[in-house]
Amino acid sequence: MQQLVDSLFSGPPPVPLWLCYLAAMLLFGGIVVFGFVLPMAGTTTWVERRIAGRIQSRLGPNRTGPAGFLQWLADGIKSVLKEDIVPTHADARLFKLAPYVVMSGFVLAFVAIPFGGPLIIADLNVGILYVTAVTSLVVVGILMAGWSSNNKWSLLGGIRSAAQIVSYEIPAGLSIFPIVMLTGALSMQSIIAGQGWQPWSWNLFYSPFTFVAFFVFFVSALAEGNRTPFDLPEAESELVMGAFTEYSGIRNLLFFMAEWGNLYVIGAIVTTLFLGGGHIPGEARLADAPLLRVPLQFVAFFLKSYLWVIVAIWLRWTLPRIRVDQMMVMCWKYLVPIAFVNLIGTALWMVFFPPALEPVVRALLTAATVLLLVGFVRRIRFHLRHARLRRMDLSFNPLSTASVPR
Amino acid sequence: MGVRDYLRNITDAIWTIGDGMAVTASHMVRKPYTVQYPDRLPDGVRVQDTLPFRYRGILEVDLEICTACLACERACPIDCIVIEAKKDKAAGGLVMTRFDIDMAKCMYCGLCSEPCPTGAIHHTPEFEGADYSLESLVRKFVKEPVLAYKPKKTGETDPEILPILERGMRYIGEFAEPEGGAERG
Amino acid sequence: MGLAGFEVEVQRETDGVLATEDMTLSMGPQHPSTHGVLRFVVRADGEVMKEAIPDIGYLHRSIEKIAEKVGWHGFMPYTDRVDYVAAMPCNQGWAMAAERLAGIEVPKRGEYCRVIATEFSRIHSHLLSVGSMAMDIGATTPFTHAIREREYINDLIEEVCGARLTFNYMRIGGVAWDLPPAWREKALAYIDRFEPLIDEYDRLISYNKIYVERLAGVAPITPEDAIAWNLVGPNLRGSGVRFDVRRDEPYSVYPELEFDVPVGRGELGTLGDCFDRYIVRMREMRESCRIIRQCLRQLPGGAVLAKVPRNFKPPAGDCYVRVESARGDMGWYVVSDGTSFPYRVKIRTGSFAAISMIQKLSKNLMIADLIAVIASLDLVAPEIDR
Repeated sequence: MQQLVDSLFSGPPPVPLWLCYLAAMLLFGGIVVFGFVLPMAGTTTWVERRIAGRIQSRLGPNRTGPAGFLQWLADGIKSVLKEDIVPTHADARLFKLAPYVVMSGFVLAFVAIPFGGPLIIADLNVGILYVTAVTSLVVVGILMAGWSSNNKWSLLGGIRSAAQIVSYEIPAGLSIFPIVMLTGALSMQSIIAGQGWQPWSWNLFYSPFTFVAFFVFFVSALAEGNRTPFDLPEAESELVMGAFTEYSGIRNLLFFMAEWGNLYVIGAIVTTLFLGGGHIPGEARLADAPLLRVPLQFVAFFLKSYLWVIVAIWLRWTLPRIRVDQMMVMCWKYLVPIAFVNLIGTALWMVFFPPALEPVVRALLTAATVLLLVGFVRRIRFHLRHARLRRMDLSFNPLSTASVPR
Repeated sequence: MGVRDYLRNITDAIWTIGDGMAVTASHMVRKPYTVQYPDRLPDGVRVQDTLPFRYRGILEVDLEICTACLACERACPIDCIVIEAKKDKAAGGLVMTRFDIDMAKCMYCGLCSEPCPTGAIHHTPEFEGADYSLESLVRKFVKEPVLAYKPKKTGETDPEILPILERGMRYIGEFAEPEGGAERG
Repeated sequence: MGLAGFEVEVQRETDGVLATEDMTLSMGPQHPSTHGVLRFVVRADGEVMKEAIPDIGYLHRSIEKIAEKVGWHGFMPYTDRVDYVAAMPCNQGWAMAAERLAGIEVPKRGEYCRVIATEFSRIHSHLLSVGSMAMDIGATTPFTHAIREREYINDLIEEVCGARLTFNYMRIGGVAWDLPPAWREKALAYIDRFEPLIDEYDRLISYNKIYVERLAGVAPITPEDAIAWNLVGPNLRGSGVRFDVRRDEPYSVYPELEFDVPVGRGELGTLGDCFDRYIVRMREMRESCRIIRQCLRQLPGGAVLAKVPRNFKPPAGDCYVRVESARGDMGWYVVSDGTSFPYRVKIRTGSFAAISMIQKLSKNLMIADLIAVIASLDLVAPEIDR
């Protein structure tokens, strides 16, 4: 970002330099938030609803706009036009402040998240630490929402959520440490720079320990984002919407945007740490052609991150909810010990494992993953075969049961 | 909980979650079941035409073949059918002045169409009956006093009534015949 | 609607300097778990409940009293509404009671049609039960799959009797419509398609680790408790008691049919827990498929309806008839005084006893478990309140 501003002015600029930097950062931040984050959060709702529909043998939204693409826009406009209800005995100040705390906790993370290539608002030298810290702000917001709603169910939801998010910070943080140790730096761009475009050069396949660390991190991140199977704080069948029951209109919308946008943050962090960021083949040759290279890197990074958004959506519509105490057991008795084992294992691996054998391990792990994926696809085909789909499934149903002509 | 149980918990979780995800992924490639009624049906398809013949939709009375036997009025458990018929020597039989069915009360049970001797009162496959006022749900079938139908023992010959009668007889023919013959009328 | 009539004792404890108090919550008449309009007053200490008191009556429609007004034939559509999720067994109970009072015998083919309809209704009801149970536990997808399968059964029954929910299919003396031509092949094609989908459902959700963890060991009901508290049907069989009205007090053509009665064995938890009740329902669906196949094979010819006078006046007396509805042993106690209107009809349903047990079961359960228990007992509000 600094280099970009510097390159704009050949001589001393008319206004103080720090003001230029500040203006550039605010401008870029505004573009990112309003041009990328919010539309993407909205589009993710569309993707989620369409995927959910197909998984459930039905269509998702398909009327507003082509294939229902503008449904989120319509929902957004509807939410803005709704009556602003603050419950009578609710703590009005906290009630109104809570959505903004949650939103800020989520939007602030975008300061340090890379978008592929040189695109990043601020490459902080404590990048990943900053992101982890700032995403914890949502706990405060959710507690505020739960408490100030003056509703016992919301309170329960808020407390459950706070316990969940705070607990799952530990395995998430512990899974980041192996990567930090490997790279030797906390800055996001350095972590990406330590990987390449080939799958076997990614941090994911460095050792079995980082491989497991990836899954531990992904599960913990899902729990922090209140996604199924960890969505007990928002469990519909008990608490309608948990901590957010009393919210309507634009405040509601802000909570939801934070939740869906958070999915992208998770995807972006996972891509940065484990999946090689926005590297593309032939980067070195295109070093002088940023106008061609940077969009390609952006697309590569975006696709990798969005894949994990889709996996999170897929998991949501497959799995039931974990109960609160089981969730705590899972965190403290399963994920934390495994994360510790990963940490120590990675440290020992880095020290004792002969570097000559490193490519062998990477190749083996990559091959194992490819085999797993192939096995998974075969299992899907087994399910399709076993369901013995007949004409009944593939026809327009009322026509198939019409018996005699009138 | 021993080490074996601990490890088995982890492997069970991974295997069952993976299998579940494979099932949902297999659903993503199947055709959805949804029928987009009413505006995106396949060309030329009216849902009413695809319903089975026995479908119990909104009631309809063919006054041309109604004998004013009042069997349907007696059979209805909710008393939503109101018929007024009087013997009129001059006209030569029963004259109906009123045949109202209150569709707001009707529970579509079919008990009225069962005892009808000619199948005049029958269910249609029509189900789109929503309207803005409650009064419009009362279907009044008699516009002006009409003579009740007298079934001819030698068979109907009037070409206007014959198709209606045939359809009516086909409708009541769908009902099961009790051992020993049906009691109708 | 306050807590009038509910003397819920709120306990205050002073633990050192901190005074703690129980939370009284109302899981109100409208809540997203689809079991009808039920209300539970929950007294909880944070997440753990001290007790959950059920409050019923929100769906009371005086059906039993209506019988005294509409007469013997006219009451048949109302029996559908007693339990609209599994309506055919209710039809059958009423028809059997009237037939027993008047000494009418139903022709063989009529009995077979009744059994086919009842078994389809059982599959119908169990699909809804397991679907909503999965949805309450959090997985929304199995619910939509179950509803999709129900739609096919709806279509099949629509061809026979013309309605998809309130069938009014049976009459005193038999059934009102015979099976249409080509229906047999369609039904067999459907059963062929449905049985592998039960397996797929199992693979999706039944043995899913998270699902099993939510259900196994939750609210186990011992066989002695189950019998003492009057549980019936899959609730009773889930606790290991092998009692099924179709087999132990057979009626209709069940003596000629071969089927197993699945019971819970505590395979993945304690005997009689929520998972056992759930898995008993899945297995019962398979058994119903088996019964339907046998019926369609053995279907005799002939009439389906015995001759019953329009003005039906059974001799004075009373009778008690038991049918195996989807929710268990449904009892119909009918008193006739010789006129064309019954004197008294009393319906004994399985859900009524099950809901009365919730107060006992809910001690020291978590609120999330309460949802699982309600769903596993397969409560439907219309049956409880009638």
